[in-house]
This record gives sequence, C-alpha cells and structure tokens, in this order.
Amino acid sequence: MMKRRNYTSRMLWFTAAVVVGTVGLGFIPPFELQGMSIESVDMLSSLRAATGDDDAPVEYEADLERLEQELAAMDVEPAVDVIDTLPEPIPVRYEWIVAEEPMVKCRVPLSEEVAPAEGMPVVPIEDFDTLEVTRYERFIDKLANMEDVRIAFMGDSFVEGDILTSDLRHELQTLLGGRGVGFVSCDIPFATVRKSVKRTSSGWTAYSVMKPKGTPEVLRDKYFISGYLAEGRSGATTRWASTDAFATLDSCTRGRVLLYSRDSSRLLVEINDTLSREFEIAGDDQVREIYVEAPIDALRIKVLEGSVVCYGASLEGGHGVTVDNFSVRSNNGHAIFGTGATVNRQIDEMLGYDLVVLQYGLNIMQPGQRTFSRYRDQLRDMIAYAERCFPDAAILVLGVSDRWVKSEESGLYEPIGSVDALTSYQRAAADSTHVAFWSTSDAMATYGGMSRFVANGWAARDYTHINFAGGRRVAEALACALRSSLAAELSSREAEVRRIAEEAERKALERQMLVDRNLGAATILLDKFTEDGASQVNEME
Amino acid sequence: MEYLKFDNGVLERVASLLEYDATAPLTLTTGFFLFAFLLFGVGYVALRGRVNLRNAYVVLFSLYFYYKLSGVYVLLLLAVALSDYLIGRCVARRRERGRGTRGWVALSVTINVAILTYFKATDFFVGVINDLYGAGTLDWESVVVPAGVSFFVFQSIAYVVDISRGAISPLGRFIDYLFLLSFFPKMFLGPLVRAKDFIPQIEARDIVVTREDFGRGVTLIVGGLVKYAIIAKALGLLFVAPAFAGELGDGGLVALMAIYGFTLQIYCDFSGYSDIAVGVALIMGFRLPDNFDSPYKSATITEFWRRWHISLSSWLRDYLYISLGGNRKGHLRTYLNLILTMFLGGLWHGVGMTFIAWGLLHGVALALHKVWLEVVPGAKRFGSEMKPLWRALATTFTFNLVAFGWLLFTADDMAQVADMLGRIAENFSFAEAHTLVTGSGVAMILMVVGYAMHALPRSFDLAVQRLVTRLGFVGEWLIVVVVIWMVMQCDMMLAAESGGAAGLPMYAAF
Repeated sequence: MMKRRNYTSRMLWFTAAVVVGTVGLGFIPPFELQGMSIESVDMLSSLRAATGDDDAPVEYEADLERLEQELAAMDVEPAVDVIDTLPEPIPVRYEWIVAEEPMVKCRVPLSEEVAPAEGMPVVPIEDFDTLEVTRYERFIDKLANMEDVRIAFMGDSFVEGDILTSDLRHELQTLLGGRGVGFVSCDIPFATVRKSVKRTSSGWTAYSVMKPKGTPEVLRDKYFISGYLAEGRSGATTRWASTDAFATLDSCTRGRVLLYSRDSSRLLVEINDTLSREFEIAGDDQVREIYVEAPIDALRIKVLEGSVVCYGASLEGGHGVTVDNFSVRSNNGHAIFGTGATVNRQIDEMLGYDLVVLQYGLNIMQPGQRTFSRYRDQLRDMIAYAERCFPDAAILVLGVSDRWVKSEESGLYEPIGSVDALTSYQRAAADSTHVAFWSTSDAMATYGGMSRFVANGWAARDYTHINFAGGRRVAEALACALRSSLAAELSSREAEVRRIAEEAERKALERQMLVDRNLGAATILLDKFTEDGASQVNEME
Repeated sequence: MEYLKFDNGVLERVASLLEYDATAPLTLTTGFFLFAFLLFGVGYVALRGRVNLRNAYVVLFSLYFYYKLSGVYVLLLLAVALSDYLIGRCVARRRERGRGTRGWVALSVTINVAILTYFKATDFFVGVINDLYGAGTLDWESVVVPAGVSFFVFQSIAYVVDISRGAISPLGRFIDYLFLLSFFPKMFLGPLVRAKDFIPQIEARDIVVTREDFGRGVTLIVGGLVKYAIIAKALGLLFVAPAFAGELGDGGLVALMAIYGFTLQIYCDFSGYSDIAVGVALIMGFRLPDNFDSPYKSATITEFWRRWHISLSSWLRDYLYISLGGNRKGHLRTYLNLILTMFLGGLWHGVGMTFIAWGLLHGVALALHKVWLEVVPGAKRFGSEMKPLWRALATTFTFNLVAFGWLLFTADDMAQVADMLGRIAENFSFAEAHTLVTGSGVAMILMVVGYAMHALPRSFDLAVQRLVTRLGFVGEWLIVVVVIWMVMQCDMMLAAESGGAAGLPMYAAF
C-alpha cells in the first residue's frame, strides 16, 4: 500500500495563511454594494486604543488598601538629597484677582422661613452617625452659621443634565445665598444638553472613568469624581457661560479651573470674552487651580503651549451654597474606585466639600430581585472611599428611585418589585457605615409614585428616568428634608437666643431691683462720703 | 500602512487580552481563538511525533482555553477530573477482585450531580425560600453557571460507569484523563465523547490527517460559521426575539413564523457551533462524533432523538435510561423510564416549568410512539422504512411537534406559551404574509436558505466536502477568509441594526 501523505502540519500553515488573510481584509476600504454600506473589518481592533463608545464600561472593584497607600503617600515629603538645591515650590493655586469680592452675606433666616410649608409631607433624613455631634449635624450647623457650604452630588443618568440638582441648588441658594452652577466638566466624550450652563469646547480628547481601557495608562489614576478628563494640546479650548435658567445662576464672582499639567504649559484664561491673561503652569504631577475673582458671566480657557489635562471649571458667586452635579451614565457608584484618591483629596482641599451625596442603584435592579447583599457591600466600600477622599464632608446616601417595568404577560407597566428591597439594603449600608440616608422612593411615593410621575409628565415613558419637572419634585422633597433639619437647628438656636435674652433681661431686672433697693442706702452713703470728702478737703486747705 | 501601526499601549493590551475577561469568554469563533490557535499550532506540529509531550501540550492549552472561558472554574474542571480519575481506578480494582462497585459509582455520581445541582438549582431554591419567608431570608447572590460544566460532568460520570460495566479499562495516567475531559474544541458545547472512542486517539503514536480529513474539517468549520454566526444570529436578532416580544404585532402568522424561526435558529446555533468544534478537532487529527444529522428530517420522535444532539441523547439513553432499567422491566416501566429520562433531561436545562413541560412533552411523545409501534401493525420506527407519502406526512407531524416543543423550551414562562398559542389560534391571517415579507424580508430569506440547506440530502454534503478537498490549500484558504469576512460584516450590521452584540451560543446557558 502506498503511504498516504500526512497533512498534520497543514493545520499550522493554513491557520497562518488565514490569519494573514483576515488581517489583510482590513485593507479593503469601505464601499457600497446595492445600497448596503460595507464597512472595513479589523481583526486587530482589540489591540488598538478604544475610541468613543466602542468599548464596554468596566466594573471597578473596591481596593481600599490601595486607597490608603495612595493617601499615605500624599503626606510624605519627597526625599531630597541636598537641601540647597531644593527647587522653588511649585504653586498649587494661580490667582488672578480682577475685582475683589465684597464680603456680603445673607441674613440668617428664621426657622419658620426655613421650615417646610405646612402640610408638606417630609421624608426625613435618617442619620446613622454615632458621634456626639454627627457629621450631618456639623453640616447643618454650617448652614445655620451661614458659612460657605459645598455639596458634591454624585449620581447616574438619573441626574444627568443637572436634573434634580439644578432645582436643589436653586432652592438652597435662594434660601441661604450663593450663586453659580458650580463644577462643570471641561469636555466629555458624548453630547449632552444642560440648560444650567452653556459649554462649548473643541480640540480636546475626552476620556471617561467608565472606560479605563480607552484611557491612556498615565491618566487612569487621574480621574476626579466628576468621571471625565479632557486632554488638550495647543489650540484646545473650552468656554463655560452661565445661563439664566435659574435666578441664581448668573452674576458669578468667582471662577476656578481645575487642571493637571505634567510638563510645563501655557494657558490663556479669558473672562466675559474681553479680559484675558496668560498663565505659565509649571509642570508637575499634582492638580492645579486657576482662581479668578471678578464678575464672571463667561469663562474661557485655551491651551497655548504644551499639553494640559483639564477637569473642568467652577462658576460660583457670593457666599452660601454651591452644588456640584457629578453624573456619570450607567455608573452604579463603583466608578468612584476608578477615581484617584490623591486627585480627589487635592481637589477637596481646594473646594472644600461639606456634603457628598451618593445617588445610585437604578441600573442594578432586575425585575423581582430581592437580595442585593453584594451591592450593599460595594456601597459600604464606596462610602468608605468617599469618606477617605473627602474627610470633612458628611455623606448622604440616597435610596434608589421608583422604577416600573413592562410586564411580559399584560404588556402594562408594573412596579419592578425590587425598589423596597434595594432601598433597605442601601439603608443597611448607610447604617453600618454611620452615614446619613434618605429614601428617594418614599419621597416619590408622597407624590404618588412612578405611575403618577409618568401621568403628570414628570418622567419618561420608560418609567425609569424622571425629567426636569420630576427632578423639581424630588429636589423639593430633598430640600424639604434638609430644611426641616435646618429649621430644627435654627429654632433651637432661636430658643437659645431667646433664653439668653430672657436671662439677660432677668439679670438686668434683678440688678435694677438691687439698685433700687440699695439706692436709698447708697445715697446716704454717697452723701456721707461727699460730706467727709468735703470736710477733709477743707481741713487740708 | 497606517492600518498596521499601533500606539504604545499595544503590549499592555495584548497582556490584558491574555487574562480572563468575564465579558469576553473565549469561544472557537472569536478572533482571539484564531491567533491563539496559530500559536498553539507551532508547538503542536513540532511535538506531533512525541506522544507524551504532545498530550501534555494539548492539555496545557486546553486548560488555558477553559481559563479564558470560565476563569477560576478551571480548578473545578481539575477537581472533577482528579476525583473521577481516582474513583475510576478504585472501581477497576474492585472489579478485578470480583467485588461490587456500586458504592464507588454512587460516590462519583453524587459528587458530579451535587456540582450540577449547586450550579443549576441553587438560585431556584433560594428564590422559593425567599418568596416563602420574605426577601433576604437567605442572603444569596446569583450563581454563575461555569460554561460547559454539564459537558465535562456528564463525560466524567460516563467514564466511571463504563469502567464499572467493564466496557473500558481505566486510564493509567491522570494527564490522559485530563486530556479526555478538557480537549478544547469540545470543551464548551460538546460533542460529548466516549472514553472508548477517544482514548485510542489520545494514545496513538502518530497524528494522521488525510487530505480528505482536512477538506472535511474546513467544510465543517465554514458551514458551521455560516449556520452559527450568520443564520442563527441574524435570524434571532432580526426576527425571532422581536416577534416573541410582540414587537412585530400580535398576529398569528407572525407567532407561527417566530416558532419556526426559533426552530431553525436553535438548530443552526447549536449544530453550527458543534460542526466548528468537530472541524477544528479534525484538522488536528482527532475524530469527534457527529452531533447532528439533519434532525428535522425525522419522521418519528424516536428518530428525532437519534438525530438531534446525538452525543447527549445517547448519553441519556446509556447512562440514565438504561440505569433506570431501560426496557428490561416490562412495558409500563419502559414507558415510565422514557418519561422520567426526558423529564430529567428537561430539568437539566433549567429548573422551571417550561423546561419540565418540554421534557415531559418529549418523554410522553417517545412513550406514545413506543405504544404505537406495538399496537399498530406495520408501524415503523424510522422514516427510511416508510412509504414516501406516509413519510412526508409523518415528517410534517414530527417537525411541528418538535417546533411547538421548542416554544416551551424558549418561552420565558407558561404565560408566554399561552400568549403565543393564543395568537396563533385566534388571530391568524395570511394577510400578514405581506407585512412579513416587506418588514422582515432578510429574516424570511434566511429562513428559506436555512431550511433549504437543512433539506439537502447527505450526499450533497459529501459532494461539497469532496469539492472543497479538491480545491486544495488556496481554494480552502479563500473560502475561509471570505466566510470570516462575511461573518464580521454580519456582526457589524447586526450591532448597528439591533444594538445586540454577537454573544455566546444559546446552549452555553446549559
């Protein structure tokens, strides 16, 4: 029998040829065939840096150990061999004072002005802190003292476009002073509309914390809780302009630009499209702030030289409350683990957060799901992470909002059935980490729940996302909760003031009575002294 | 040459690609596999004459393959392999001494069934308890079923049972058993292999691939890609899923076509992926059993189960049905055993009413067919024995029985089954045919092409294989590259059309 040829090695050559052939397919340009557009194929796409929305978002895991190390490293002075060569310290803040801001504060409101309207159902904030003076009470104290207060509102698509936060901001600023939209990112990788601010940007490459694979490695630990970075070379520019969508948004008096410039760079900052100034930013690995004090309606930056990573800008004014909206789409909160602890801490030192709100959970519910213990544990880690990054802030966890889903059987929308369960797991996380909690779904229930929201046109027909009108209701409810805490504090202060006043009055009265009683004797004594004195003088003469 | 330029992050991305990524499990149809198979091929061809090194090399690659598919569960695979390898040796020793082996076999079955039950039924029982005693009674996260776990567990049970039956002698070396269990082409979706057929291939000194083998392998891979990655995926995303969800209206004709569409989809999906596995193994010189034999040509339900997922149905027959007593304990027990076997087979797909109903439907149908064969004179077991007209009628009947069975199989719950049947019974109109053709034209063409391919006689398949073989290296290469290009185009169009990514084979869920 003739020995037949063995084709085993063909497997190798054949696979090699197929690899070459399929990689070669990438050279076929896109073309049209019978009205169908045929795209180029790319076998090597996973080897390229992902662009835009192509790569799937990544689920971060909490790494609290790394967080501790990172924060510990912040406090360590860099080792220097020879002291005389110690370079000039690089400035952290570049100031440009055009017109100093007058120190005008609102008057302290009365407790009855702050208290929610009569008959308004209040879903209270539950404070699980065990400190003698809880961190939430400290925050309310600051409000009552009319100190400058800054709130970081972290959330998902529920608050995208400044839904809810813009009304919350407006309500608090009207009551307690403060102006401006707060922090706004420099550029983000997709289009959004935000009526509380006009932002136009060009020339940047924007990255999202949700897509770490699409982010250059050197920038991955550079994310702030805003979740977006914009990297730009000379020519990249962004303009933030206030709008009059709410009464407290315009007439800002302070502008801050937050950026990071690894190598030295030159930047143009322009206010109100007229006045401008150039800044030389010394290259360094730390976050830098350009601080402008002037009447600002529009703030523009432009990279003139070098490469700059810009987080965004903050438009603020007056003294009072600033609310920053940090919404990151389809984030369950885990993206905070992808933000740089050092960056968060540095920016916190610049801006000084007093309250961090965590609004998450909408995307993790599945119809009928009843247990969320894994999410509860993640939430605990998120709280711990936020606490370490913002050590002076109180934390407020918001329960998940009401959500309905379409029933397979009836085709009608029904409650998803897991809102209460998730809310209780979120409350448990807040309880065990001793932070404050507020149930969004309870608040929505006071308006009749999601079905009422949709019926009233306050929510989208997906029975999941509220719109601006719905956001106003939820903001109103949250503000009510904050106001009732504040009203309680104010009324106890007022009572204290009254008590002190009464006390003073009583003391004055007592003194008066004493004076009255002793007046007679005193007059006699006085007369006697006068007489004695007179006679003594006479004697001396 | 801009296309072949990469930025600095490329090495980092290659490194991260090599790691397990739960969002991108490795299957035979990924681009990653093509590159991995090329690298694997270098060592494989170099070591082909050295049986021990070659086998160790294949095992290592297979374990890596499973790691890329299921992550840490590769340890479960190793544990199952080790436990049944050791149990197999104990069983053989007791047999030699003429002593009973039931205890050891029971131990193996218990371990394996416990693993399966844990992964498949825990969620169900936790759900039941939490529904009874209130949410959170049991604090439990969903169990992720490791891909392919049933397949290696079944093969492992079969190995121990075969030894106890004296059908095979145990393997001397652990690595050979690991090879049998983990061989990567079949790792994910089978076909299940029998130790008896596969061990001689592992132990063979030389790997022999004939020109015909290679041609057949390429034909199977290409045909499998067309079935799995084009017909099944496109039909499912463009027509079946929206039709089931009621997005194409509530007409009866749409519902009926959706059921026939799913019938084709599940066949193309499963048999397509199986064919790719058989083809990949074949060009490496390993012969895996055929898993499908044009199942919808069956004229009886008994025949269907000889042509559908052959390696599983014969496993069910040999290790479940026969262990239950098979047909040796009288008529009544035979029928009961058939029903019980299919009931358990249904339950294996998932703990839920729809799968139980599907299993019972097939079990009862098989039992009734047995009764029919005994009661009706001249009744036939297979279509090939029937007269043409009778065969056509029987085939139509069987096809519809199976198709409506798939409705039970794929429905979310019994309410959806009732809904679909209600649509067909009460709202049927041929006037919808117009909207079907204009609205879902591509899907209708795919259905016609798919069923036509299925209807072609086996001689046609063989003729295609001969033709491909005759084309030789360059012709085969051209066909493979063109089909891969088509698959990639199809993926991109589907992603643009429905937003749905290509995903895993349907049977991956089992």
